[in-house]
Amino acid sequence: MIATLLDLDSISAKVRDEQKKYKAMLMVCTGTGCVSAKGFDIRDSLKAEIRARGLEKDYLVVGTGCNGFCAVGPIVVVQPEGVFYQKVGAADVKAIVQDHLIGKKVVAKLLYKDPVSGKSHEKMTDIPFFSKQQLVALRNKGLIDPEDVEHYIARGGYQALRRLLKENQPERIVEDVILSGLRGRGGGGFPTGVKWKAGRKAALERGEPVYVVCNADEGDPGAFMDRSIIETDPHSVLEGMLIGAFAVGAREGFVYIRKEYPLALVRLEKALTDARAHNLLGQDILGTKFSFDVKIHRGAGAFVCGESSALMASMSGQAGEPRAKYVHNVEFGYRDKPTILNNVETWANLPPIFEKGPKWFASLGTNDPKLAPPDPWAGSSGTKVFSLVGDIRNTGLVEVPMGITLREIIEDVGGGVPDGKKFKAVQTGGPSGGCIPASLLDMKVDFDSLTEAGSMMGSGGMIVMDEDTCMVDVARYFVHFLVDESCGKCAPCREGLHALDRTLTRICAGEGKEDDLKLLEDLASTVNAASLCQLGGTAGNPVLSTLRWFREEYEEHIRHKKCRAHVCKPLLRFDIVDACTGCTLCAKNCPTKAIAGERKALHRIDQAKCIQCGVCADVCKFDAVTVRTGG
Amino acid sequence: MGAPVKTAVNKAFFEIDGKRSEALEGSYLLPALRAAGVQVPTLCDHKDLTPYGVCRLCVVEVEVRGKRKLVTSCNYPVRGELKVFTASEAALKHRRMVAEMYLGRWPNVPVVQEAAKACGVTTSRFQSELTEEDPKACILCGHCVRACKEFALEKVLHFAGRGVRRHLTMPFGEVDKTCIGCTSCAHVCPTGALSIVDALNNPADPDKIRKAGMRVNAEMATLDGRQFRMRQLGTANIVDVMDKYDLLPVNNFRFGSHPDTHKIGAETLRKKYFTQGMADACWYGCSMACAKTIDGFELKTGPYKGHKVCVDGPEYETCGAVATMGCFDGDFVAEFNFYCDTYGVDTISAGTTTGFVMEAFEAGVITKKHTGGLELRFGAKAEALELLHQMARGEGFGVDVGQGIRWLKDKWVKEYGADAKFLQDIGMEAKGLEFSEYVSKESLAQQAGYGLAIKGPQHDEAWLIFMDMVNNQLPTFEKKAEALYYFPLWRTWFGLMGLCKIVWNDIVPSDNHLEGEPAKIPGHVRNYLQYFEGMTGIPLDDAKMLDQSARVYNLQRILCRMLGKGDRLNDRIPYRAMGPVTNEEYESRAERYDKQLKEQVQVDPAGKGTAEKVRLLRAYREEQYEKVTDAAYQRRGWTKNGVPTIARLKELGIALPELVKIVEPDQE
Repeated sequence: MIATLLDLDSISAKVRDEQKKYKAMLMVCTGTGCVSAKGFDIRDSLKAEIRARGLEKDYLVVGTGCNGFCAVGPIVVVQPEGVFYQKVGAADVKAIVQDHLIGKKVVAKLLYKDPVSGKSHEKMTDIPFFSKQQLVALRNKGLIDPEDVEHYIARGGYQALRRLLKENQPERIVEDVILSGLRGRGGGGFPTGVKWKAGRKAALERGEPVYVVCNADEGDPGAFMDRSIIETDPHSVLEGMLIGAFAVGAREGFVYIRKEYPLALVRLEKALTDARAHNLLGQDILGTKFSFDVKIHRGAGAFVCGESSALMASMSGQAGEPRAKYVHNVEFGYRDKPTILNNVETWANLPPIFEKGPKWFASLGTNDPKLAPPDPWAGSSGTKVFSLVGDIRNTGLVEVPMGITLREIIEDVGGGVPDGKKFKAVQTGGPSGGCIPASLLDMKVDFDSLTEAGSMMGSGGMIVMDEDTCMVDVARYFVHFLVDESCGKCAPCREGLHALDRTLTRICAGEGKEDDLKLLEDLASTVNAASLCQLGGTAGNPVLSTLRWFREEYEEHIRHKKCRAHVCKPLLRFDIVDACTGCTLCAKNCPTKAIAGERKALHRIDQAKCIQCGVCADVCKFDAVTVRTGG
Repeated sequence: MGAPVKTAVNKAFFEIDGKRSEALEGSYLLPALRAAGVQVPTLCDHKDLTPYGVCRLCVVEVEVRGKRKLVTSCNYPVRGELKVFTASEAALKHRRMVAEMYLGRWPNVPVVQEAAKACGVTTSRFQSELTEEDPKACILCGHCVRACKEFALEKVLHFAGRGVRRHLTMPFGEVDKTCIGCTSCAHVCPTGALSIVDALNNPADPDKIRKAGMRVNAEMATLDGRQFRMRQLGTANIVDVMDKYDLLPVNNFRFGSHPDTHKIGAETLRKKYFTQGMADACWYGCSMACAKTIDGFELKTGPYKGHKVCVDGPEYETCGAVATMGCFDGDFVAEFNFYCDTYGVDTISAGTTTGFVMEAFEAGVITKKHTGGLELRFGAKAEALELLHQMARGEGFGVDVGQGIRWLKDKWVKEYGADAKFLQDIGMEAKGLEFSEYVSKESLAQQAGYGLAIKGPQHDEAWLIFMDMVNNQLPTFEKKAEALYYFPLWRTWFGLMGLCKIVWNDIVPSDNHLEGEPAKIPGHVRNYLQYFEGMTGIPLDDAKMLDQSARVYNLQRILCRMLGKGDRLNDRIPYRAMGPVTNEEYESRAERYDKQLKEQVQVDPAGKGTAEKVRLLRAYREEQYEKVTDAAYQRRGWTKNGVPTIARLKELGIALPELVKIVEPDQE
C-alpha cells in the first residue's frame, strides 16, 4: 500500500538497489512470439542452471515482454552490457551460463549476424533493427518484468500521474495533450486532446458520469502492436488511462480486449490487481481525492468490435454492431454517457508525454514547430508502433518516429525483402488499408501522407509483399476477410463486399470481363461512401488502392489471362519439357493423375485434368516442368 | 440502440436544394425533406420506429461549415447551419448502386422493386447464389426487431450471423417462449416475410383488434417519452405534477404541496429506487409496462427486518398516501409499500387513516394514552410503520385503526367525547371508504366525482382532477355535470370489459387537441370500441357503449340504495375535501381564498377575521356542491335524492319488478 505520494520514490530506490546487487541480469523475452518458440522454457532453464551453480545471488533472470525482434526469438539480452543472443535453444542455456557468465566470453554462435554484410553484432544497440527505432510507447520493452509493478515504478512509472494529481489541474492536462499533438493510434488519427475536451465538456454540462475506455480489440491480420504493448508494459497503458480519467473526471474505466490474447489478459489482470494493492487504482488514489477503477471486458473476436460504437454496444451486452455516429461517443457513448475511447498505444504514450513534456512529444515527428499553438489536425507528433510482417527479414514489432520514410522502415529496420526477391508493395492500415507501390517508398509515414496515397495509418499493421505476390489476389484476400467480418447491418457493406468478392474471384479464375474494372471501381466507391461505419467506409480501399497502383495486373488478368506472380492457379499452364528424364516422380505425386508417360520417356500433362496445383514442378529434380501464364 | 438526441426546443433553419426550410433542432432530416416535398427512397424507415440507417437509400449530401458529406437523412439530426442536396450526383450515384444491390438479392420483392425504380434501377448485375426469388423474402430492414423492442419492450426477434449470413431469428434459433404473439413484428413487416399463423382466443376480427393495439404501440414508442413517461416512471410520474398544482394530499389533505415532495417524487424513485422498467408488468406484453419494481430493498422494521426484498411499486397513490402522513422519504415509501402489500392492506386506506389519526393526535383529540405510547405526529415514520405492524398483528392501537376512519370517529365521539363535527370535517372517508390521494378542494368536479362514486371516494369512477385542474378541460358547470355523467359510465364500461384504463388517457394521441371533446380522448375511446367489436363481432358506438354501462351502473346504484348508502345523504363528503376546515389551512392559501370570496362569493374579505372567512367560504362551497349534485343527478336520470327514476330504468330496459320495488319509495 502506498500511503503517501512519496512512497513511489522509495519503491523505485529499493528496486534499483536490489538490481545493482547483481553482476548481470538476463532479460528473456516472454512475449507471445517468443513464448511460442519456448521462451518460458528458456527462462526457466536459465534460472535452474544458475541456481544449480549457486549463482543466483549474482545473476537475475527476468522474463520481459516482447523485445520486438520476433524473427529471431527466443531472445536473451544480458544487461547492463546489452549483449544480444538470438534463437536461443534449450541446448544453448548451459553455454550462456558457462561461457558468458562464468567465462566472461560472448557466445559467438548465438549472436545476430547481419544477413547483408554477414557481420556479427554483439550488442543490441549495434543491430540496425534497433538502432533506427525511437521508443516512447515501448520505452520499457525488454527492460522490465511486465508482471512486476515495482519494475515499472523503478523506471519512473507513475511519477507523471503523481505530479499531475498533486498539481490538480485537470483542464491543463487536456490542454497539454492538445499541445503535444498526440493523435489516436487506433487508426483514425483523431486528436486525443480534442476528444478529451469534448468528453469533459459534455460530462460537465450534463452533470453525468464520463467513462474512459481502452480499445484493445486489435483485429487486423498480421497486427500485434496492442497485444505486445499490454504484454510488455501494461502499467504504461494503465497510467495513461489514469491520467485521462483524472483529466476528464472519470471514475470508471474499461479495457475491451479480445479473448484470443490470453497472455495479454493475464498480464493486464495482474497489473490491475497490483495497482489496486498499491493504491494506484480504487478509492483516494495516492492519498488524493481522485478515485478510479478499471474493469476488463473480453471481446469474442469480431473485427467490427474494434469500431467504437460497435465496441460500446458489445460492452453493453448487445450484438457488436455499429450505429450512426452523427451523435458522437464523446457525447453519448457507453450507457449513453460521455465516453472517451482511446487505443492501447495512445494510452501508453501519455505517461512519457507528461514525464518529458508535451513540447518534447510535439518535437518528434512531422509537426510543424512554427505553428503555436499547433493545429491538432496538422502533422503527426511522436512515434508509431508498427508490426512488420510479410516478405521481410526482420519480422517484428518496431517503434519509429513519425515522418520516417517507408524505405527506412522496410530496408533499414526491416532488413529488406529476403531471398533476393524484389519488393512489390507494402500494405498498411489493416484489411481496409491500401497497398503502396515501390515508387512511393520514399514517402513519409504519417497520418496524412498515407491517406493521400490511398491507404491509411490504421493501427500499425505493415505487410510487406515481394514480387511473388499477385495484387489482384491480395485485394481478393482482404475483401474476402471483410466479407467475413462485416456485421451485415448495412446494405452497401454487406451486399457490396460480397459483389466485390465475387467479381475479384472471377477475375482471379480467369473469367474477368472488360467492364469489371469499372464495376469494381463503382462498387468499391459506393461501399466506401455509403456504408454505416468506418469498417465499411474503408472496405473498398484494398480494391481502390490496388486498382490505382497496380491496374496493369488487373488488365493482364482480364485481357491476357495472365497472373505475373503465378499465384492465380487457373491462369497457369504447366508443361513438361525435354529435360524430362522419365523418372515418374511427377506422375506419382500428381493428385489428379493428370500426368502420363512411360518410364524413362518424356511425360505429358493432360491439361483437362490438371488443376494447376504445381506439385509436379515442386517435385521435379530436373527443372523439366515449366509454368506459363497469359497464353 | 442509437444515441438519444437532445430534446428539441429550438428551430433550425436550413436549405433543401436551395430552398429555405425549417425543423426542430435535433429532429431528423428525412421528415423535413418529405415536408418539403422531396421524395427520398428508403427501405428501413418506418414512421413509428427509431431510425435505423441501414438501407442507405435515403442518402443525401449535406454541407456543414463548407464541407460536403454523404449522410443518411433518416437518422441525421438537423443542427445549425446546413445545406442539403437531395439529388446531387454523388447521392444519386450511390443510391442507384445500393438499389441495384438490393434488386440483385431480392429481385421480386415489391417494396424493393419500387425503391429501385425510384432510383432509376430496373435490372441488376448482382444476381448471385444469395439471390432470393421469393417475393415475400426478408430484406433485413429490421422493422420487426425494432417493433419488438420499442413496441413490446421485448427482444424476441433479432438478427444473427455476420455479413451475408445475417438473418432474422429468435434466441438460439428456437421459438422463444417469451414471445406472446403481440404481432407487432408482422404488423410492420414491409414484405410479408413475417406472417401471423395463429389467432389466440378466436376473436371475430383479429385485424381490427391488432390495428387498434398497434396505434397504442406506436404512440407509446414515439410519444410517451415526451408525455407522461409511463415506461420510465409509471404512475408515480404525477407525484410532482400534483405537488406543482397544489393537489398532493399533504398532512391529511390539509395542504396540496410540500417542499420535500421531490424526496418521494418520480425522479428520485427512478434514479435511486426503480430497478426494473421492462415489460414485467401486471399485463405481460403491455407496451406501456408502467408497473415498476424496486429490487434488493433492505427492510428496516417489522417481521422481515434486514431482509432484502422486492417492492412491487410504488404507484402514485402510495406516494400520495405517504404525503398524507407527511413522511417525505423514499425509503419510507418503499417500506410502507412492501408491508401493505405483504399484509394485504390497501396503501390508500392505511395511509389516509393514519393521516387522520395523526391530525387527531396533533389536535389533542387522542393522546399517547390512547395510542399505546405512539407519538403519532405528521412525519413520524417509525411510529407510522409500527402502527401498520400493529394493525397486521392485531395488537394495541392498531386494532382500532385497522377498523378505518368511520369506525374511529364513532368510537372517539362516543368514548372520548370528541367533537363530532370536527372529526366529520377532517375524517377523509365517505360511505365508509377512505379517500384516494387527491386534494379536491379546488375542483368541484372531483369533489362530486368522489362523493357520487358508488363504491365510495376512490378515483376509478371519476378521476376528473387532472382534466379539471391540470388541463382545465371542464371550465363550466355544464361540462362538470356532463363529466360526472360520462366518465363514470365510460370507466365502468372498460372495467366491466376487463380492460385497463391506463392506455386510455396516460398516453394521448398527438392529434387529440383537434378532437371536439379532447378531455374524453375520443381517439382512444374508439380504440376500445374497436377491441370490443373485433373480439365479439358486435358493432359498438359511443351511445351503445354508454347504454351498456348505464345498465350496470344503475343496477349498482340500486344495490347501493338497498344497502342504505345510495342516496344524497351518503353522497356528501367531509368538508376537508371541499375547502379549508381550519384557520391554519385558510391562511396557508389566504390569497387564493380571499380572491374567491371577492370574485365568486362577492364578499369583501377585508377586515374580516379568518374564522369568519372560513365560514363564508364554506357556506358558498357547500352550496356549490349541492348544485353540482343536483345537476349530475338530473343528467344521470336520478331523483333529487340520487336514486334512479323508473323512467330511466325503463329507458335502459332494466325496469325489473324487484328493482322498481327498491326505487319506488324515492320517486318524486
